[in-house]
Amino acid sequence: MAEKTATLTLVACTSCGKPISPGAEATKFLCPNCGEILIRRCGKCRKFGRPYKCPKCGFIGP
Amino acid sequence: MSKDEEIKEGKKEEKFEEETAEITAEELLLPRDTMLSAGIHIGTRMKTGDMEQFIYRVRPDGLFVLDVKKTDDRIRIAAKFLARFEPSKIAAAAARLYAQEPVSKFCEVTGATPIVGRFIPGLLSNPLYPNRIEPEVLIVSDPRADSQAVKEAASEGIPVIALCSTDNEFSGVDLVIPTNNKGRRALAVIYWLLARQILRERGELAPDKDLPLTIEDFEAKISKEEEET
Repeated sequence: MAEKTATLTLVACTSCGKPISPGAEATKFLCPNCGEILIRRCGKCRKFGRPYKCPKCGFIGP
Repeated sequence: MSKDEEIKEGKKEEKFEEETAEITAEELLLPRDTMLSAGIHIGTRMKTGDMEQFIYRVRPDGLFVLDVKKTDDRIRIAAKFLARFEPSKIAAAAARLYAQEPVSKFCEVTGATPIVGRFIPGLLSNPLYPNRIEPEVLIVSDPRADSQAVKEAASEGIPVIALCSTDNEFSGVDLVIPTNNKGRRALAVIYWLLARQILRERGELAPDKDLPLTIEDFEAKISKEEEET
């Protein structure tokens, strides 16, 4: 019987670049300025108010 | 340089200053004087490292003053951001007394959900609470006063837009609008501008038209008893 394997691709936080584990207090939203890039922020970056930068328009938040 | 040349130079400089003043007035959402008279640039005597980027100068009495241009830019960005959401999926929280009336009017105009007064714990996060709401974005008038709302939004993964003064921190906030979040008039102006800009971004209001409600309508009313005391 063949073993079933599943791969889980974790998305990276826009602020710190670390992978965001499922169920974490993370958020995602479209860039407030251009609205084209999906910004993802992990729980820690949100808590510490770490800045994020849109790779397309260069908007720096929060 | 002769006197005539000096006068000419002086006139040229005056003209240039007038022109630049006109350009800046055009660029801002409201005339600079209106914004300044409302006191949206007045901060507090305390400064946080997070808010340093929005501070313009320190007054001799120790008050930190915010950059009006940056406030204006952020209102435009926040309006663009909020216009992408369904009106019913936007929630606005106001625990502060002076923010309650502006938030109510803002929600009336834009169709958002108001959360005024005490924020009942579990309103966003308790699935057993019958009056629970599930917004996709949250606006808070003061991240410190509305800390429960920010905390629950963080646990639910809801993006938070916050009106921040010079003494606020960015903890749990995803988009900051630097402004005076304590003044009665300042809060009215900010929410009025935000409501107008959202409607313009949605295409419900022409770019040169104003809201049917005035800034005075957005302002918290003080009872006569309070005025006397």
